[in-house]
This record gives sequence, structure tokens and C-alpha cells, in this order.
Amino acid sequence: MTTLLERQTPAASVGYPTAPALVRDWAQRMPDRVAMREKDFGIWQEITWSENWESILDAAHGLLAVGVRPGDRVSIHSEDRPEWVILDLATVAVRAITVGLYPTNPAAEVEYLLSDSGSAIHLVEDQEQADKVMEVIDRLPGLRMIIHVEPRGFRQWDGDDRFIFWDDFLELGRSHRAADPGAVERVMAEAMPDDVITLVYTSGTTGPPKGAMLTNSNFSFCVDQVVNSEGRMGQSTMLRKARGPNPDDIILTYLPLCHVAERIFSTWTSVACGVTLNFAESIETVQTNLREIQPTIFFSVPRIWEKIHATIAIKGRDGTFFKRLWFALGMRIAAVIGAQRVANDGDHTVVSRILHAIGYPLVFRALKERIGMRRVRFAATGAAPIAPEVIRDLIGIGIPLYELYGMTENSAVATANRPGRNKVGTVGEPYQGIGFRIDPDTGEIQTKHAGVFKGYWNKPDKTAEAFTEDGWLKTGDVGVWVDGTHVKIIDRIKDIIVTSGGKNVSPSEIENSLKTSPYVKEAMVIGDGRNYLTALIAIELDVVGDWATRHGIPYTTYRDLTEKPEVIELIQSVVNRTNEKFARVENIRKFRLIPKELDHEDGELTATQKLKRNAMSRMFGDLIESMYRS
Amino acid sequence: MRGRPLLHTAYVSDQALLNTMTKKVVVGLFVVILALIPFGVVPGIGFLADADWLRLLATVCIFAIGGLGLNILTGLAGQISLGHAFFMGLGAYTAAWLGSSPGAVVGLGLPIWIWLPAAGIVAALVGVAVGPTAVRVRGLYLAFVTLGLVFVGEYLFRRLVTVTGGSQSGRTFPSFEVRLWKEEEPLISFVADGPWFGFDLTAEAKTFYFLLVLTVLFVVLAKNLQRTRVGRAFQSIRDRDIAAEIMGVEEGRYKLIAFGISSFYAGVAGALFASFVGRMIPEVWSLFLSVQFIAIVLIGGAGVVSGTLLGAAFVTILPRLVQDFTAWLSDYVQTGEGLFVWLADIFISTGVGDWGLVNTQAGVAPGLSVAQLNQVLYGLLIIAFLIFEPLGLYGIWLRIRNYWKGWPFTY
Repeated sequence: MTTLLERQTPAASVGYPTAPALVRDWAQRMPDRVAMREKDFGIWQEITWSENWESILDAAHGLLAVGVRPGDRVSIHSEDRPEWVILDLATVAVRAITVGLYPTNPAAEVEYLLSDSGSAIHLVEDQEQADKVMEVIDRLPGLRMIIHVEPRGFRQWDGDDRFIFWDDFLELGRSHRAADPGAVERVMAEAMPDDVITLVYTSGTTGPPKGAMLTNSNFSFCVDQVVNSEGRMGQSTMLRKARGPNPDDIILTYLPLCHVAERIFSTWTSVACGVTLNFAESIETVQTNLREIQPTIFFSVPRIWEKIHATIAIKGRDGTFFKRLWFALGMRIAAVIGAQRVANDGDHTVVSRILHAIGYPLVFRALKERIGMRRVRFAATGAAPIAPEVIRDLIGIGIPLYELYGMTENSAVATANRPGRNKVGTVGEPYQGIGFRIDPDTGEIQTKHAGVFKGYWNKPDKTAEAFTEDGWLKTGDVGVWVDGTHVKIIDRIKDIIVTSGGKNVSPSEIENSLKTSPYVKEAMVIGDGRNYLTALIAIELDVVGDWATRHGIPYTTYRDLTEKPEVIELIQSVVNRTNEKFARVENIRKFRLIPKELDHEDGELTATQKLKRNAMSRMFGDLIESMYRS
Repeated sequence: MRGRPLLHTAYVSDQALLNTMTKKVVVGLFVVILALIPFGVVPGIGFLADADWLRLLATVCIFAIGGLGLNILTGLAGQISLGHAFFMGLGAYTAAWLGSSPGAVVGLGLPIWIWLPAAGIVAALVGVAVGPTAVRVRGLYLAFVTLGLVFVGEYLFRRLVTVTGGSQSGRTFPSFEVRLWKEEEPLISFVADGPWFGFDLTAEAKTFYFLLVLTVLFVVLAKNLQRTRVGRAFQSIRDRDIAAEIMGVEEGRYKLIAFGISSFYAGVAGALFASFVGRMIPEVWSLFLSVQFIAIVLIGGAGVVSGTLLGAAFVTILPRLVQDFTAWLSDYVQTGEGLFVWLADIFISTGVGDWGLVNTQAGVAPGLSVAQLNQVLYGLLIIAFLIFEPLGLYGIWLRIRNYWKGWPFTY
């Protein structure tokens, strides 16, 4: 295995192989191949590697022109789009630090993130994001300049010289470049492995978000381990050699780029392996964009996989008679294939191979085409726990789906399932040669390797808390070994429920089982210090609404729908099915439907759509208490 | 990107007429088969090489061109018109005036490259002149205005004997011969037997090829129109004229353009039709001809080019099939036996004293003639299509296609 560092021996004049330096290499090696695509005015506009590199250079010169020095922070508040990646890489090129914000972050969080990071330059996508920062700009003395990508809606700030339009910013960079052509490359050559390249703010299910500092060497280590290690994306057979990610691969970028997972699977994979990035128009159009792009590598979070899983089930049942029959047959075949492959570490057995050969032309090919997975050769899930049923069913129709595990603080380098050694229900094996251990006393997973972060930005006390005395990173997750090789995550340490009977229960397992039902969007199991377990359940409005319409149940609002006895009965049947799978003490005795749609802005969810348990307990305290009143 | 038909990186591929490999192959094969028909080598449809079938296919081509014109006006721009026959007549007599050699009726003896485009242009100009009425009236009222046009036209054609030859004898029309100017020997003749590039071809085959090439040309033009700014304006007016105007589509202007283009097609089709038949009386350009074109558009599928082609083939070939069928049936009634003969006998009347719905020997026994049966069938078909399949023959195809397009889901 050659690592990124060995592959590109850093000559003294070239410097460390940072992400922008890799783009420069691609621009020289294959200037006319497509680096990025973005759908605009109905067609996918292409950006080649050389255009990409030119834009990065212009933007980097622009940053130098406005006085950005190594170590300064540049923040980006935008949906995924080429400008995100270009400014990110330009920032790294001038040895400054990128801070990504979630597009859903409200003004108060924008204020916190910008003042905590001390951002000097801020990029906003459009007027919506500009409004947020302008609301709090008086309390951000360090902020020098706001770049906006969309020109519309900015007339109100005409003459405000803090604002600059993206094109003007690049123009500024071009004139700086004309005056001092080698300035950016001189700074790039000085890059050190220890340079912080980005602050990734943790989602903050408990306290305020903390900015994890990732460095150039974290980036290299992560790329070598997670993306580019041998056998990572397929097994070599006698007929075909498995290839790692390469310029023929295509990725759809749609999860927030400020999250470490999307950064790894989009930006970092692209610059390290020359993969083409395609930017989805928005989260609502992901389904359509998937069909158009048909990516070859696809990473997603459980929420999306659950949605795909539910879509297949619902649409398949909602057909004409013959199609329904045909589809049911296909799903029967898929179930057998799924079970066979799960039992065989993810590999085909003779039976599953034969069944796949039958099912592929009948159903799977068209089905995968419809959901945009026809050409996927490596699919991964991570960032949150997923129910094994979902993985099994998707493997059954032929999507090679692997669960990964990692966190921001170790650059997502911890464990992964690999082709041929895929144990569904576990998060896989630790990467080779990394420090990985499960603390015998607490069961906590701990890691120690070159991917472990430098610390939290401006929070030495929090950084100290994150490490053990002998310098291992504490992940906060409880895990156990399966068969001595694979790791199964039980839950977050702080989430584990201890009932008043003294029994330890992992809520996430039960919650994920509930969430396999298409009717359930979110579930939160409660029972810490209580006699029995209960649950708060949020329903999926579209699916339950559709179900109600079909059963002739009239409803007006979300709240009205959650109060219908028929709907409660429907969810009760989902709960009952989950209860059958678990031991008596882990059964949910009572549940309540949450009367409102959960939302990031209302504080129930984090920006990554994870439940904030404390906030939930506070907000729906009455509902919870009502379940424990006898 | 290979293997990703939905990934368009340029408008050229996004808006391509033949946007999938399958369409390219199918259309290519179809054109090749059409080109091979006169040789009678295509298995299964070799009989189409017969002279009378080739004449029928030539008629299909002419009706397709005329149908495309009405389809642009009615199907695309949503303006109902019963006046199509009038514009065809205009085209025909323009062609006759310019193209025929002088004789009992007027004629200038100009070559085809003048009279054929001129037929279209004159019709288009009159269409644009009539257009303003369409801007003021819509729907049923427009139908009546254009209906009036047909009657005015028929009257004029009957009275202008010097041009049209009058109802008694009618007049002859120029034939499909290409001359540079007024020389004796035509450069290319589509109406005489003889070898072409080493192939011995009949006059029917040559006429068929000539009309086939013209049809392909007009199909491409009509297809192309749909994806232009003008075509999109037509469709917006069709779907909701007020909304279209609010979006900045000039209703009046585009209605004029629609009438102009539609009339151009009609004029060319009229000239071709008259020239193909050879001699015609003015009564041909009557309401019945207009109705036939409405049938083509509605049965084929309003607003769809391939539907119009299907409709033209259907409407033109149906009478022939009905005729063959009744002839075969009448034979069968006289020679066969059994229950089916008894059923067939109820349907058909073969001679004096035999009662039946259809009469194969006109005037001898009561019952509809074959021509009358055809008219009844048109009427029934239009009613049936409007009720059960408003998108016409094309709609049936659409349904089949969508069933497979959604596979394995329904939507």
C-alpha cells in the first residue's frame, strides 16, 4: 500500500501534498477531464480540472489580496456548490483555516460559530444567509469581509464595502495574481503537516458546538485509510482487479460539506483520487439528481438509506395488479439473497448468485435505475446508527452497502466493513495499523493514530477531557467485539439507559428498529431511572398522510394527524412488532406521538438532524410524565 | 456521460429530437423500411409495392403534410379551424395558375420550384390575413368563422371558372416534374417509368419517393417548431391564453404566426394533392375535406407529430381496408356456409331482396354504400377517441410506454 505521502514525494519546493496541491497535480495530468458538475438552468454545467485549479488560484490570490494570513479563519455558509469547494481549497492553499456552517444554522448559531472561530472572511450563498449574519454583525468585530455568491437581493447593501460579489472577488484575485504571479504557490510550498486546515464543529447534542481542529496530516491519513486503502471498494477476482476510487468514478454531493463525512467522501475523495463531483440542486431533488447522475460511489447517512428503503416498499406496493405481483416476487428473491449474503460475510453464495442472475433482469436492474443506484459499486453508511434490516434488504437488491464508523475527532478513521468481510449489524474492523482499543472497564472505544485531531479550537479544557491519561482519544461510544474481529456499537455512553430495576438498555437499537417502519420518522426511547421504557415517536407526515387518505381518514394539520385514534393504532402495531424482537425489559410499554414536526431551528434537532435528547426531554416533559402516571 | 441518458451537460442533448439510442435505431429502421417498400423486399409487407398500394401510401404522405399543418394550429396552438380545406384549395389553384401550361384556363407554365413554394406562401399570406379574426374570437366562434371561410371559398372556386375550370369539368394541375425553366424535357420526372441509378422504377414508386422526402422534410420542420420559442409560445396559448399573455407571450402575434404556418402546410399539401390526382373540380375543397383533417389530428393525437402521421395513415388506409373487407365478406356470404355466414349476411346486402347494413352493389338494394360506411366509421371513431382516448392513437402508445417507463413502479 502506498500512502499519499509516499506517492507524492514532497520536493522541497513543492511542499506538503495538501488538498489544493493535489488539485494542481490533476490539473496538470488531466486538465480537460471533468472535476465538478453543477445543475444550472436545467443542464449539468461542467468544470474541468484546469478550470477548477485556475479558480482556486484566483480565489487564493483574492484571499491574499484582502490580507488573509496563515492561520486566519475563513467561514462558509452555503449549500453545497462548486464555490464551497473552491473557497475551501483556496483557503487551505494560503494556509488559512476553513470553517463550515450548516445552511440551516439560525442567526444565533451563526453568531456563536463566527465569534468562537474568530472568522475574518465570511462567504454567504444568498440573501437568506446574509440576513442571518447582518443580524449579528455588530457583535462580530473580527469579521472583515462578506463574499456573496448569488448577486440577487443585495441591492439593499449597495455601497456597504464589507460586501463583495464572488465574481468581483475572483477579479480582485486575478489582478493580485497579475501583480505577483507566484504568491500563492510560495505560501503553498511552506505548508506544514501540522497546519490546521479546517475547524469542524461537532453537532453539539449536549453543550455548545466545539470546533475540532483537523490538520494536513489528518487529511492525508484519513484519505489513505478511509478512501484509498487496498481492497476498500471491491475485491480483486481472477477476472477483474479491484480499483480504488479513480477519475472514472462519479459522486453526488448533497449532504452538508461542513460535516466531516461529506467532506471526506466529496472534497477529499475527489482531490485525492480525481473523482468527479456532482452537486445536487437541493436536498429535495436528491432523488431526481441520483437518477440523472447514477453515481458509482455513494455515501449517505441512515436517514437517507431509511428513506430509500421505505420508498421502495411503498412504491412497490402501490402499483397495478400485475406490477405488484411481479414486484413482490422480486422482493421475495431479494430477501433470500440478502439473508444468504448477510450470513456469508457479505459475499455471494451459489444460491444467491443464481437468484441474483434471475432477479436482476426481472426487477433489480430497473429498480436500481429508478433509485439511482444502478452503477453504484461502493455504498456506505455512517455518522449515525442504522438498523441491520435496512442494510440486509438493500444488499438483497444488489447495492453493496457497508457500514462505517468514525467521528470528527479522529478524522472518521476507526472501523469499517470491507468487501468480503462485511458483518451486518457491526461497524466493521479497525483499520490496519491504527491504535484501537475497547476500554475493559467502561467498554468505551478509544483510538490513537495520525488521524486524531489536534484539539478543540480555543478550548484546552475540553481537549484535555477528550483524551485519556495515556493520550488515547475517548470516543464516547460503547462497543463490544464480535467474533474477535468486528466491532458492534452499543450506544453513546451518556445515552445508555439504566432502568430503576438496574438493567442497562441501549436506546438506539430500539429506536432504529422503530425507524425501519416507513411511518416513523424519529423515535426517542425514555426510561433512565424509571420502571419501564416509553417512547416519543415522530411520524413521517407524507407517508402517514397518504395512509390516512387511502383509509378515508380526514385530517387537517400534522398535529391533527397525530391525534387520530387510527394513526395511534397504526403506530401501536409498529411498536408491537419492535417489541417482539426485544427482551421483556426492553419492551416499550407506552408511547406518545410528538404533536409537531421536529426542526433544527426550534432546537429539537442538531444541524445533522440528530435528536437533542436533553432539549426533547425538556420540551416534551409533560408528554413523558403522562406516560409514567399510573 | 455514457450509460446515463438523463445526464445532460448541454442543451443540444437535452433537447435532441431523437434523445435516446432506442429512438435513433427505431426511426432509422423505419426510414430504411419505407425506402425499401417500392422494391417489395421487406418481408410481410411486400404487397405494398403494388401500384395501387403505392398510390395509397403517396396519399398518406400528402395527408400527413396537410395534417401536420392543422396539428400545428389546433394541436399545438389550440385554435380550432374548419377552414383547412379552403387553404388547401388556395394552394392547389395557386399551383395550377403558376404551373400549368396555358389553355382553356389560365396558366403560366412555371417550374415546380416556383409553384410549390408559392402555393404555400399564398395560402400563408391569406392565413395571416384571416388570422386577426382568430385573435378576437375563440373556441366555438372561431370554428364558425372558419366554417364560413370554407363556404366562401367553395363559392369563389365555383365562380372563378377561368382559374378553376368550374364544377363541370374542373381543371388539370401541373405534374411532379422538375424543370429549370420552361424547357420541353423535364430534368427529373417523378411521373414516368424509367431507370434511376440503375434501378428500374415505376412512376408510382418515383412519386412515392418524391412525396416521402417532402414528408420527412415537413416532419422535421414541425418537430423542430415544437422546441423553439415560437413552439413554446403556441403551447402556452393553447394551455391558457390569458396566463400566456401575462407571461409576456404576445397572443395576437403568435396566433397570426400559427395561422400562417398552418396555412403554408395546407397550401403545399393542397398543391401536392391536386397535382397528384391530376384533374379536380372545385367541390373537392369542401367541409368534408376539413373534417377529414380534423379526424386525422384527433384520431392520431392532438399536438403530437408522430400521432398525426399515424392518423393520416389510419384515415387514408381505412377506406381501402373497409372496401377489401366488404368485398371479401360479400364473396364469403355467397360461397361459404355456417353460423358466421349467417352473421355476415345480416351485415351485408349482396343484391336485390337481400337486406343488410352495407350494400356492395350500389343502387340495387337498400343499405349504406361502402363510401357511406366509411363516413359513418370516421364519425364513430372520432366520437370514440374523444371519449375514451383524447390523446388518440399516440395516447395508446403513450400508455404502453409509460407502463414500462415506470417499471417496476407505477409512478
